[in-house]
Formats: sequence, C-alpha cells, structure tokens
Amino acid sequence: MATEQGDVDLVDGDVVHAFARAALLATLLGAVAPIAIPIPFSPAPITLQVLFVFLAGLLLGPLWGTVSILLYLAAGAIGLPVFAGMAGGLGVLVGDSAGYLWSYPLAAGLIGLLVHRGTDLRDPAEVSTPLVVVALVTATVLIYGMGVGYMAWLLELELWEAITVGALPFIPGEVLKIAAAVAIVESGRIDTV
Amino acid sequence: MLTYEPGETVVHDLDPRSKLAVQIGFAATALAHTAPRALLGLSVVTAVVLALARVPVVRTLYAYRFALVILALGPLVAAATLGPPWIDLEAGLATALASYRVLLILLVSAAYVRTTPVRESRAAIQRTVPGKPGQLLGIGVALVFRFLPVVQSDLRTIRDASAARLGTERSARERATTIGLLGLSRTFDRADRLSLALRARCFSWNPTLPALAFARRDAPTLGVAVALLLTAFL
Repeated sequence: MATEQGDVDLVDGDVVHAFARAALLATLLGAVAPIAIPIPFSPAPITLQVLFVFLAGLLLGPLWGTVSILLYLAAGAIGLPVFAGMAGGLGVLVGDSAGYLWSYPLAAGLIGLLVHRGTDLRDPAEVSTPLVVVALVTATVLIYGMGVGYMAWLLELELWEAITVGALPFIPGEVLKIAAAVAIVESGRIDTV
Repeated sequence: MLTYEPGETVVHDLDPRSKLAVQIGFAATALAHTAPRALLGLSVVTAVVLALARVPVVRTLYAYRFALVILALGPLVAAATLGPPWIDLEAGLATALASYRVLLILLVSAAYVRTTPVRESRAAIQRTVPGKPGQLLGIGVALVFRFLPVVQSDLRTIRDASAARLGTERSARERATTIGLLGLSRTFDRADRLSLALRARCFSWNPTLPALAFARRDAPTLGVAVALLLTAFL
C-alpha cells in the first residue's frame, strides 16, 4: 500500500467547520427521506427533503450549500439509503426522479446567491422576508422545472402529463415548506457558518 | 432495504471503479435506446448481472417501490386521452418501454449497492476525483455513512417527543417547522463537535488512502463497460 510521504497539509479551521456542517446537513437530508406528513386535500404527503435543500442554501450559502447537496447525491449514488423510500444506487440518479435530485444542488446554490449575494454569509434572519420568499419560490420553480422536464423526456410523456404526475399533487406541500423555511430562519435560533 | 451484504460472488471481488464503469455504460446505452430489440438485449445483460451478484430480485423491487409507482403510473397517464378514443395505446406503449429501461437501470445499480462496501466506494471516489474536491467528497460520503444512524435516531427522538405532546395534532406547517428547527439545531451541534474533533486529529488534505488495485479479473468487466458505452451511439 502506497503511504503518503509528503508533509501533512492541514485543512484550515473555517473550512473544517463549514465542511462538517455541510456533511451533517447532507446526512440530515438523507435521514428525513422516510418522514412523510399527511396534508389535507392532497394525495401526496409532504416530505421534508426540499425543506432542507432550502435551508442548505439559506444557512450554508451558495458554496457549502451546494457542496452539502452534492455530498448527499454522492452518498446516494454509492448506495446509502438516502433517497425517497430509503433507496440508493447510481440508477436513481438517472431514474424517473433524477431531474429533481440534480436540481437540488443548483437550487441550494441559487438560494445562497440570492440571499447572501456572494460567498460571504449574512445572517438570513436579517435579510428581508420578501427576498427570502422570492429566492425560495424561484428555487421551487427550478426544482419542478428540471424534475418534470427530465421525467417527460425520460418516460416519453407529454409535458402536461408529466406535470400531472410530477408537480400538481405536490404544490400545496411546497407552499407549506416555504412557510416553514421562512419561520425557521426568522426564528434566529440557528447560527450561520 | 437494499444495502451492502458481504459475499463471495465474482462481483464482490471486482474493483469498485470497474463496477461503476459498467453502471455508467449501461445507463448511457439504456437512455439512448427504447426499441424492443435493444430492451431485450439490455434485459439479458441485467439478468446476467443480477445472477452474478446474486441480487434478490423481489427485495430489490420492493426497495425501489417509490420509483416503481411512477414507472407504473407513467404509461397509464400517457395512454389516457381527453376525448375519443379515450385511450391512446401507442403513446402508452412508448412510455411503457421507456419506463422499463429505467427499471433495468435501477436493477443494475442494485447489484453495485449489494456488492460494494462503503469504504471501497469512498476509496474509488477519492482516487477518481482529483485533488481537494475528491478528498472532501470521499470524506464527506464516509461521514454521511457514519452519522446517518445517529441523525436518524435524533429525528426519532424529536418526533417521539413531539407526538407525546400531541404534536401530531398540530398543522402540517407547524410540524415541518418543529422537525426542521430541532433537527437542524441538533445536527449543527453535532457538526460543531465533529469539526473540533477533526481539527484535534490533524484533519489533512493528504491522508493515506485504503488500498485499491485493478486486477486481471477487472479487464473483462472494463471491456463490458466500454462496449455498453459504445452501443449508446448505435
């Protein structure tokens, strides 16, 4: 076995801090996969993954928020049971829900850029609520756009058919998640990096 | 649940990188073709892979049940039309064939999941993705593996405590906020302790990796991977 012979190249303290948070947020994203909360007037219960995608962008910023979601996708790709229904495997990342999964890192990055205006993090509790809501709505549109678009292409569905299967049942839940994400960041109980 | 299980099969002995290559080649060619003849060929490849890796098919299908619901729903939605003749068989069949190839891709990736321990996948990531991004990706994946049961148990505690206080009677928004807030604060507390522990142990960019080597038995597997990839262009 080849042993590393060079000098130890230590990782900077603030990188370790941000990285540890990104890795554990990725874990949390995987751990909430089986949790489903039923909501009235909708056949689809809400799952909390998109809520934590929002929070990754809001609390970790564009860089580490994206890293966090990429770690989540990589962990799922090698088979950890982190995707919906506690499934894993590279196949899921090209399967019917792949569009949604690949949109998550972009959505977290987009939210981070809109809310923090760069890689220096601001306290999201001090950012105006309308801006946070606009960022989250834009991210939701991106997630469903990519998710539905890929599903329509992959399964050779008409666009409206894919929207019926892959977006309409989930819209009430998305509104709730945006409200929950705003309530969480405005509570000021979570520090940013 | 679909997960790694130790075993003696040929597929267990292969280098994880050649197994990843086969999956990528298979997915590429499956995404490029939906003709019945191509799907027949891909089905044979899938059957061989599943047999070699001794994957329990029923349990695997159950593990992917969420995807299967969409894959089953797709053809029905595609076939349904508003107005006469109400059912468009041709569109339904096209979607059914497209759905079937997704099922094959999922089954082939299940063979990887079942035969590859996380530490080997981690080593494969760190050796394939160059530089610092590769390091962070590899270590990050290992951390997710290590902390997944811990965070799951945190979430269980939060939900049990909330249910004991009639939290299940609250509105969905309040429940989501509670789980989000408490889950996040516990997780970030863990992350901050972890980061202190990592620095105390000289967390570095250049640690010594677990051993990983291509052997002669990997050559045919890599050949299959390249062949599958090339058929995507047929």
